[in-house]
Amino acid sequence: MSDGGGLGARLRTIFDRLTSASAGERLAISVSALVLSIVVGAVLIYTAGLIAECPRPAFAASCYDPLTVYDELFLKSFGNLAADPLNGKAATTLGETTILVFTGLSVAVAFKAGVFNIGTQGQMVIGGLATAVVTYTASQAVSGVVGTLVLLPLGVLTGAVFGGLYAAIPGALKAYADANEVITTIMLNFVATNLALFLVQAEFKDPESFANQTRTLPAYAQFPTVVFPDTADFSLVALALAVTVAVAAAYLLAATAFGYDVRTSGLQPPAAEYGGVDASRTVVAAMTLSGALGGVGGAVYVMMKLGNFQTNVPAYGFDGITVTILAGNNPIGVIAAGLLFGVLKSGSINVSVATDVPPELVGVISGLIVLFVAMPEFFRMIGTRFTASRPGGGEAVATDGGRVESGSDGRRVESGSDSGRVESGSDRGRVESSDNSGMSLGDGSSGDRESDGSDDRETAASQTATASDPPSTAESSGGDPA
Amino acid sequence: MTDDGDEGGDGEVVVDRDEQPTLTTDGGAPATADDEQSATASYVTRWLSDAGIAEYLGVLVVAVFLVVVAVGVVAPSSAPGQFVAILFSKGTLAATLRRTVPIAFAALGGIFAEKSGVINIGLEGLLIISAFGAAAIAQVTGSVWIGLVGGVLASTLLALLFAVACIEFRADQIIAGLAIWLIALGLAPFASVVIYGSKNTPTIDTFDRITIPVLAELPFFGALFDNSPDVYLLFVAVIGSWWVLNRTRFGRWVRASGENPDALDTAGVDVSRVRYAAVSLSGVLAGLGGAALSISLRGFTGNGPTMVNGRGFIAIVAYLFGNYDPVGALLSTMLFTSLTQLQLELQASGVLSIPGPVVRTIPFVTVIVVLALFGKTRIPAAAGDHFESGEE
Repeated sequence: MSDGGGLGARLRTIFDRLTSASAGERLAISVSALVLSIVVGAVLIYTAGLIAECPRPAFAASCYDPLTVYDELFLKSFGNLAADPLNGKAATTLGETTILVFTGLSVAVAFKAGVFNIGTQGQMVIGGLATAVVTYTASQAVSGVVGTLVLLPLGVLTGAVFGGLYAAIPGALKAYADANEVITTIMLNFVATNLALFLVQAEFKDPESFANQTRTLPAYAQFPTVVFPDTADFSLVALALAVTVAVAAAYLLAATAFGYDVRTSGLQPPAAEYGGVDASRTVVAAMTLSGALGGVGGAVYVMMKLGNFQTNVPAYGFDGITVTILAGNNPIGVIAAGLLFGVLKSGSINVSVATDVPPELVGVISGLIVLFVAMPEFFRMIGTRFTASRPGGGEAVATDGGRVESGSDGRRVESGSDSGRVESGSDRGRVESSDNSGMSLGDGSSGDRESDGSDDRETAASQTATASDPPSTAESSGGDPA
Repeated sequence: MTDDGDEGGDGEVVVDRDEQPTLTTDGGAPATADDEQSATASYVTRWLSDAGIAEYLGVLVVAVFLVVVAVGVVAPSSAPGQFVAILFSKGTLAATLRRTVPIAFAALGGIFAEKSGVINIGLEGLLIISAFGAAAIAQVTGSVWIGLVGGVLASTLLALLFAVACIEFRADQIIAGLAIWLIALGLAPFASVVIYGSKNTPTIDTFDRITIPVLAELPFFGALFDNSPDVYLLFVAVIGSWWVLNRTRFGRWVRASGENPDALDTAGVDVSRVRYAAVSLSGVLAGLGGAALSISLRGFTGNGPTMVNGRGFIAIVAYLFGNYDPVGALLSTMLFTSLTQLQLELQASGVLSIPGPVVRTIPFVTVIVVLALFGKTRIPAAAGDHFESGEE
């Protein structure tokens, strides 16, 4: 395991060098985003406490005490480890972590390929339902230890197949019909929820229950709790599976030909195509793999946590987005981020029990984390405030006041590298849009920049200077440029 | 969807209206009256040879529809007859219009943002926050109109946050948009529980219906003149948005900012400022939609995906399908909402009987099919990219 971690770390640095952001900076951004979200969350809790009504304030005129909330949210999530390391709260936290690692990996694989799979939730629902139905049916034929050995792989495989197939739909639609996958996957989430409800109501409902749920799996068809008490909704086997899959995903992405195709498609689709990568096939394959991981998440949810399928599936798939964004799409990082969100999820139960603060708070905090991680520039700015220069950034003036002052040679060089980055940024899925921009740029001034002949440099530079002059005065004086 | 210049007019920023005849005749000899006929004929043959599966499918759907209507008119008591009766009833149109309001407003907002170069995936979040804001403020103040303003304010503030993240701090627009959605998805129920102890707000007042005399008596189309004020507001907003985008200097800036920000910058206009304005405007418009949603349904419900339930995402598809044209977006939204409304009415009258959960997937499946068939809209060239003044 440690060997795999070391391998992952080494490969991660290789990958990060590719994306021109150091692993350290990435980690710093994630941690800063987390801290900032917690601070904003504390302000939110305090302010909400001013609005809420209570017999007596808990913290400086506010009904809610942020410190108590965070204590319940983070520290109480593991219960009293000294007294009983296998207590129920720790089990809940680790159980949530296990599922979140799968959904986080699901989103990460797709993101790596430059595909925004927002549909992990739906893939998890479909995979979970399929697992519940298939495993229950199969469990009638076998039993005992043999049953467990047969049914667990069968259930996981069923989840993977159905989740994968469900994700292949938006993958194929993107690859062959150019349908934006963000929209189709979100739509398919709604479809999955309703489809699962319909199937459970019409076909697979437990006749002895009023709720919309399938029949409960026998104990031998569920993940064994191992050292934890039988009542725990957690299995070390499932956690071990999650960690193994994460390491395998890291290896797959970093050290195999398929992983190389996926990564290059994500970073530079035109370059990947030029290099002989079949872009369409890579998109479908990455989506299928992503959906399969989401489906396994659903299978684990059914076979570890619930014991059957219930139609109101919690938003693990959406949390998976947050997990992978916090992890910088790094499979090994997903384990850590998954643990953090496992803590938040199980902590939100403690919060709702011990305080009056609505547990929906966790949703707000995870949204804030996504927002802050998405704007690394914000933290870089703060960073440059405190350090004289940033590694690789040239003179401090260029990075600090670069956008305000008029053109210097240093920045023209940056502009070249920047436009390259912009093109890779548009890998959002529309290669032809960058082509279009090339065509519409066919007029005078920008044509100079495109051709980039050495003779044009002087004129282009002077144009740059004049072009950027009015905005710069506007920005410094705050006046209207028009 | 759009009636003027689908091919060239919409995309190009600096297009001259006088150029269009040249464009339609394929850049050949200048069009004369004699050529008109043959041009039409060649257009038809060209269409037949160029038409892809999407076009053929569209024609097929229209043909089936016409046959059903014809049968319905001939035999009013048959199932097609009942279908036609429902299709052309005033009630269906009125309900469709009310259903259209939130989605179409959000779509208008999305058009402004994306035309300016900022893809606003967070429309869903803006709808959620304004739906809650409007319901809460209407409940506190007792006035739906103050509630409406409150909802718009909430949405605009959130849109500004999104704008700052995308424009000032160069966040990835898709991820920042998702964050806006997630934040609103958590914040609205959170605030509702803090204030009301429940994810749902108490029941609030709703808009009074405004009936325009005489016109409201018209068969079928009378529904256009006998509806709640948010429907009228939507019509005003659609026409206003079209006018602003196509006939004003600001509209030209917005389009240039999305198509060719370098040119706009060279012309001395602050691209960031235009984008801030456009994204804020998308907050205002989406806010009107969200506020109208919760006010017309007499309160906010915050369970699961909240009462907004994917409308923001449907709005994105609506404006893509409407080719970034406000009128096109309104029409494509009405296509989605009329399908939903129609099947609800058919269900209620017993013409159709499909289980509820399956029926609820219809709008989402429609969106996917539409996107797959007509997904190749021409997005603004610089949409999704950061822009730094002075070519940094």
